[in-house]
Amino acid sequence: MVAKRSIAVAALAAAGVVAVRRARAHSGLRPGPAEWFAVTVACDPAELSAANRPDALAELAEHHEVRITPAPGGRGTELAVRSADGSVRERVRAIKQLLETGEVLRVEGQPEGHRTVLGRAALPVTRQLMRRGVR
Amino acid sequence: MKALCWAGVNELAVQEVPDPAILNRQDVVVRVVASSTCGSDLHLLDGYVPTMMAGDVIGHEFLGEVVEVGPDVRERRVGERVVVCSIIGCGRCRNCRAEMWSLCDNSNPDPGFLETLNGHATAGIFGYSHAMGGFAGSHAEYIRVPYGDVNAFPVPEGVADANAVFASDAVPTGWMGADIAGIRPGDVVAVWGCGGVGQMAIRAAYLMGAERVIAIDRFPERLTMAAERVGAETLDYEKVDVLDALKEATGGRGPDVCIEAVGMEGHGTGAQYAYDRIKQATRLQTDRGLPLRQAIHACRKGGTVSVLGVYLGFVDKFPMGAVMNKGLTLRSGQQHGQRYIPMILDRMSRGEIDASHLLTHPMSLDDGPRGYELFKNKEDGCVRAVFTP
Ligand SMILES: NC(=O)c1ccc[n+]([C@@H]2O[C@H](COP(=O)([O-])OP(=O)(O)OC[C@H]3O[C@@H](n4cnc5c(N)ncnc54)[C@H](O)[C@@H]3O)[C@@H](O)[C@H]2O)c1
Ligand SMILES: [Zn+2]
Ligand SMILES: [Zn+2]
Repeated sequence: MVAKRSIAVAALAAAGVVAVRRARAHSGLRPGPAEWFAVTVACDPAELSAANRPDALAELAEHHEVRITPAPGGRGTELAVRSADGSVRERVRAIKQLLETGEVLRVEGQPEGHRTVLGRAALPVTRQLMRRGVR
Repeated sequence: MKALCWAGVNELAVQEVPDPAILNRQDVVVRVVASSTCGSDLHLLDGYVPTMMAGDVIGHEFLGEVVEVGPDVRERRVGERVVVCSIIGCGRCRNCRAEMWSLCDNSNPDPGFLETLNGHATAGIFGYSHAMGGFAGSHAEYIRVPYGDVNAFPVPEGVADANAVFASDAVPTGWMGADIAGIRPGDVVAVWGCGGVGQMAIRAAYLMGAERVIAIDRFPERLTMAAERVGAETLDYEKVDVLDALKEATGGRGPDVCIEAVGMEGHGTGAQYAYDRIKQATRLQTDRGLPLRQAIHACRKGGTVSVLGVYLGFVDKFPMGAVMNKGLTLRSGQQHGQRYIPMILDRMSRGEIDASHLLTHPMSLDDGPRGYELFKNKEDGCVRAVFTP
């Protein structure tokens, strides 16, 4: 009974993202998959330019079109990457974190209690879905 | 170590879990001394936050002692007694710099769910589901705190644990509700909900110069507390028609500021309440919104409605017509605790803010499930149960 309920909840978590996405698709907010994935980084555009950019960004740029623009109102730099899949989105966020805070925040390896068998199996998938989102 | 874990809808269990470790160079580890129940946890318990998994450690309002610091921690020291903000900030993104800490860009490593649901993600929150970052909570012997320098605050010597623990969440949340509403001297303020958050909003409103504060709830002991401890006039919504009573009390104008400190499980009477319950139970709406609608309806023309109660998804029958035609200002947010905590600790040490009466049930962490039962059902006059490992 206990296990059944928690399985249901874990499944709901995963299904939730998809359901919300479907609802949004119906509302006509977005016609198709987004072409660019963009974040604004609180740093000078020079820090993202070819000479100074972090290695992670240089690696991204090898396989993806990358656009760097100063953000309006002194808000730093807009970093956009074209045809970003989940893994690219995760890497772009990590670059922003690294530049702004000096580290990439980790949550794997924290204390946790009894996971159900299914929960244990589903956690990495759920977490990846949560991390990357669906677009 | 021991920890209180979510085990399923309305099921909690004290379990043996691994000790936390420093995972990032700016982390600190805190030995928990006091960890409180909060109204926000009820949304997890009742299953309205869909990204919980059995085995998640809950709890987010806490105080303790620093026992370990990461290599890049500059300010915090082992041995310091600290209160930690329930919501995690990085201190360096644009929103943290603008003191909108709960909008931190970097403290929620798993923003995908909320970005899909809401357009953008909220900051990470301790013990508050995988959508809020999946951080282990504070109902445990030890907890890892990311970005320790900006999220953990040393507690002045004269301030007791039973008071300071609420500087983590209830007090800054209540303060923020009054602050973002722009309360001015002479204002009449109405506050829905006399839990820890509502009571602290009442106190803050008076400190900001409100002339009258009217508090609304149905539990006699909470109404009495709001009257005796923080000086509010009170209304029992089961005994009077709240809208009529507020109009009468304000010469027909309505309160200048309406603060909603109830949230998505608002209780009520009559047909609207039945409608909300059925729709929420069948997941046709995610959040019940009766007190929120009431606050909007009651608010004076041109007034401000400040929403502290937590909502996660969609509320039915949202009275946009009233917002628009009365020219209301709607303010809201998860609390920006880091903006207020030093000032609150300072006021606590001067005796201007005392939250210790909220601690009605000091308990051992072993009694966690029982503590939540008391708190959830408001049994035995429980306003906040606080656990000591
Ligand atoms: N914004 C934030 O950062 C933040 C932080 C902490 C808590 N919260 C939220 O604030 C809310 C209150 O938290 P709390 O810890 O005080 O909870 P609590 O459960 O102790 O108190 C809620 C109170 O609301 C009352 N209530 C229910 N329906 C009502 C109605 N129709 N009219 C008037 N009162 C009604 C209940 O009787 C109860 O006394 C929760 O939604 C919680 O999630 C938000
Ligand atoms: Zn809380
Ligand atoms: Zn931040």
